[in-house]
Amino acid sequence: MTRWRGSAAQVIVLGLLAIFVLLPFYWVVAGSFRTPEEVIARAAPWFPRSLTLEHYGNLLRQSPFPTYLLNSLIVAFGTMAFTVVVSTLAAYGFYRLRFPGREWLLNATLLAYAFPGVLLIVPMYGMMSTLGLIDSLMSLIVINVTFAAPFAVWMMKAFFQTIPLELEEAAILDGASRFQVLTRIMLPLTAPGVASIAIFAFVMSWTEYMFASILILSDDQRTLPVGLAGIIGQYQIDWGLLLAGATLITLPVVILFAMIGRYFVEGMTAGAVK
Amino acid sequence: MATPTDRQPPRLDRRQREALLGFLFITPLLLWLVATIVWPLIASIHLSLQDVRIIGTTSEFIGLDNYGRVLGDDRFWGAVGRSGIWIVGNAILQTLLAFSAALALKRRFPGVRVARTWIILSWIVPTVVAVVIWRFLLNASGGGLINPLLITLGLTESGVGFFGSGETAFATLVVINSWRWFPFITVILLAALLRVPSDLYEAASIDGASAAAQFRYITLPLLQPTLFVVGLIGTLLSFNVFDVIWLLTAGGPSSDTTTVPVMIYETAFKQFRLSQAAAMSVITAGLLVAFAAFFVKVAKPKEAF
Repeated sequence: MTRWRGSAAQVIVLGLLAIFVLLPFYWVVAGSFRTPEEVIARAAPWFPRSLTLEHYGNLLRQSPFPTYLLNSLIVAFGTMAFTVVVSTLAAYGFYRLRFPGREWLLNATLLAYAFPGVLLIVPMYGMMSTLGLIDSLMSLIVINVTFAAPFAVWMMKAFFQTIPLELEEAAILDGASRFQVLTRIMLPLTAPGVASIAIFAFVMSWTEYMFASILILSDDQRTLPVGLAGIIGQYQIDWGLLLAGATLITLPVVILFAMIGRYFVEGMTAGAVK
Repeated sequence: MATPTDRQPPRLDRRQREALLGFLFITPLLLWLVATIVWPLIASIHLSLQDVRIIGTTSEFIGLDNYGRVLGDDRFWGAVGRSGIWIVGNAILQTLLAFSAALALKRRFPGVRVARTWIILSWIVPTVVAVVIWRFLLNASGGGLINPLLITLGLTESGVGFFGSGETAFATLVVINSWRWFPFITVILLAALLRVPSDLYEAASIDGASAAAQFRYITLPLLQPTLFVVGLIGTLLSFNVFDVIWLLTAGGPSSDTTTVPVMIYETAFKQFRLSQAAAMSVITAGLLVAFAAFFVKVAKPKEAF
């Protein structure tokens, strides 16, 4: 039993934080189940009076939401697959092998994560149009990996560090190649890490708006964030529909995070504090 | 004539082989980043020297005209200034929020593990969801949460139009963006805080140091390397923010919330002046590199412990 040595200040700060982070989510999720009149009522009650699935029904049956959902899933899984391959290879190279320029290249790679995407959007549009990838989901996968992979490399560091070097050396003495060491020893032993970066890549892709708004032209190739933003842009906002859409987009992220969240946060922080 | 020794591949020593393998392992990532970051950057320099308006059309080289036009444009410098205020505003608010959260989550309490993981929630949801959430919460025409609350408290009679004037729109955006990003900073600060050896605090308590003194003389110095990384990356990431602003105000009212990323996007894809947007991008990249170099020079911590 750990004794709680909390102070009043701690309780107050935690309470305010919980309200600041969670209340907005509650209000939107609750709103998505309210009747159309109640959604836009001035001073709606804290708990919806009668629950309805009407907005979800409209969203799934009468709007292009299912198409957007499918596109988003394709892009997210594509991003995930490429990110996992590219960044586990790179993480092994960076953190387990010694070569000249390693530190420098690693830092340059990490800066890519913070690189302003908007500076790339003009030339990227030109590049994708040269390659004939405008209006294709592949273009989004390519660009999402660019912004997911560097951080994924960073996250793998913490997980690779937990594997003793002796284990690798023993395998190499037994005749295993470095690639086999990575795929047969390192990756199976760092499964939570691999899952974390996979989910990070999924979330990055799931969230991406800017490139998707430019590189995709036709409605049936659109991803969820751009599709949902289209509903916001309409003259008469159908709030019920919008809130149901926002809730449904958030759901997969929350489910994935519930499965792997702890490892995810551990991996995220390890790079920063060495 | 090949002798048996000639046919053997050149023997590399262990170190050379390891270096070669290292390069091989990182090659896919490097190629990817070169193709999607380095090459486009070079392409944008190329583009900025022409007068392309719509992609696919060709144009002749016009030299540095676009640079002259951008550098002489008050609206561009206005956007740079707003980006500066944006970075500072976000830095202050997020530092306050993240430090309070990290310090509160540092000490154990029932449910602390759950709280330490789920604090990240607002960072992982799609930006467009954050936009929907806050548009709805701040709605003045019914359905909102904040305005009815303010009316009940008697602070306003008919509700506040949060995006109505330039100042309130800007401040509101800073709050919303901080809501989204402070968890990211919190999680990293918290990890650093948890690594400060607890016997340091115990020794300080025995010597009679106050909580404030402990924070000033133990926590802050040991946090220096982390604060340096967070300061650099956080500033760049803040600068980057585009979609929250674009989706909530589109840079308005009357370009009062037009930061540099919004301006580049607008110039390229709403006004169809690609070359000019490319010149803006190159100038901005230069400004950011200068900032980063300055930051590293001024703030890089000396090797702590």
